[in-house]
Amino acid sequence: MSAYAEAESSPGAGPASPAGVPGGLPDRLRGALNRRSVLATLSAAALALLALAGTGWDFRRVPPPAADVSVSPPPKAPSREAARLLAERQRLEASLRHRTPRGPWIVIDQTHNRLRLMKGDDVVLEAPCSAGSGMVLKEGSRGRVWVFDTPRGRFEVLSKLANPVWRKPDWAFVEEGEAIPKDPGDRLEYGSLGEYALYFGNGYMIHGTLYERLLGRPVSHGCIRLGKEPLREVYRQAPVGTPVYIY
Amino acid sequence: MRARHPILAPAAALVASLAAVPAAPRPVEDPETARLRVEVERLRHERDLASGKGFYLRLDASRRRLALVLEGVALDEYPAEDLEWGVPEVLFLDRRPAADWDAGAFSRGRLDPERERDRVEVLAPAPAPSGTAPTDQASPSPPPVPKSAEELYSVPASYRVVFAGGVSLEVRAKGHGGRNRSLFRRLADAAGLRFSDLGTAVGFGARERVRLRVTLEAEDAASLYRSLPPDVGLIVVGLPPR
Repeated sequence: MSAYAEAESSPGAGPASPAGVPGGLPDRLRGALNRRSVLATLSAAALALLALAGTGWDFRRVPPPAADVSVSPPPKAPSREAARLLAERQRLEASLRHRTPRGPWIVIDQTHNRLRLMKGDDVVLEAPCSAGSGMVLKEGSRGRVWVFDTPRGRFEVLSKLANPVWRKPDWAFVEEGEAIPKDPGDRLEYGSLGEYALYFGNGYMIHGTLYERLLGRPVSHGCIRLGKEPLREVYRQAPVGTPVYIY
Repeated sequence: MRARHPILAPAAALVASLAAVPAAPRPVEDPETARLRVEVERLRHERDLASGKGFYLRLDASRRRLALVLEGVALDEYPAEDLEWGVPEVLFLDRRPAADWDAGAFSRGRLDPERERDRVEVLAPAPAPSGTAPTDQASPSPPPVPKSAEELYSVPASYRVVFAGGVSLEVRAKGHGGRNRSLFRRLADAAGLRFSDLGTAVGFGARERVRLRVTLEAEDAASLYRSLPPDVGLIVVGLPPR
């Protein structure tokens, strides 16, 4: 075996490798290069880490609300501009405060299927309900599509009915695989909406249900289904004109 | 040589004299009036939001409350356990927004990561001839009972509502109640968030100027994620300066 081959075959045997061998580097140069490259790599890594540490988001905590109210210094006489701004601030604050209805109002969280009856800032009643299932019904023959969503936004109770009769729309027949009747009287269904219905527009109502065990789940075709007792209470306390907020 | 226009010389003299007159010093507004001006500006924006038909979030920093509002009426409130606000920092230099950045309202908030909803599609059975009851073949099985919100949406431990105008609201869940994602998914989320932070800080993608970070009870954070309406707005109240 030659000296070169021997040096190649023994890793880490630097001192033993002969200097000036063709294709190799002098030991000192190789060592210096190694040290330099290691140093450069380490420096680059340190700089990159430093840059990473100093790049991102700088967050400051907002102090929690103070428990005690400190005594503020007596206000000096406001300038004319400050007085104008103060008056406008009060006016704007008052107009925002008065947006919460003073009488009864209804809030429906359709994601969690909860209904709240409010009076001013107080919760009068909270109950599980059933909002739209979000299901899509496709009619094979005529290609019509229905999406059973409950709309979001602000509505109002437009009318109230005791012992409501459901006038079944087309989808109710299509869903059941029934032919759509020609006689309007064949569309009427008694008892399925419960004791009461509060109509809030576009065919949507708050009404009772035959399937109380499904309350709390989104199973309706867009209306809001409510249990018997809460429905009685809502019917009793919410007059026509009651705002209904659905989110 | 052509004669100069007779009006040119007086005009030049006027311009020269105007340039020589020092600009009138802008009256310095006292801090109280400046603060009032910002508050009034913010209230005007809130009034505009409340007059619209869209949902918006109202972050009251002084009370540490986040509310979902429609037409000025708070529909749901989420008490914040902790509240921070941050600015992007590049090589230890932060990019501060204008002092009155929070006087305005922000719009078109969207969830990140997006909330996905799988809708169940039902093909209606062929109608039976008029006057006959549908056969068993016509309605083979009742439609499936839809899942509840808790079953439907997987909620990340941390998510953002990103608004137009470079402001975002990061919501973090305190505790473990809302963390129904796998460990792997959570680790991937955390890594993704860090990379996204680096990217947004140096200005990749949509430029983000300010991030508000609220920590909510896990149940509240999950509830907000599941029920946040699309294109929500934001108004920030009572945020102290940095």
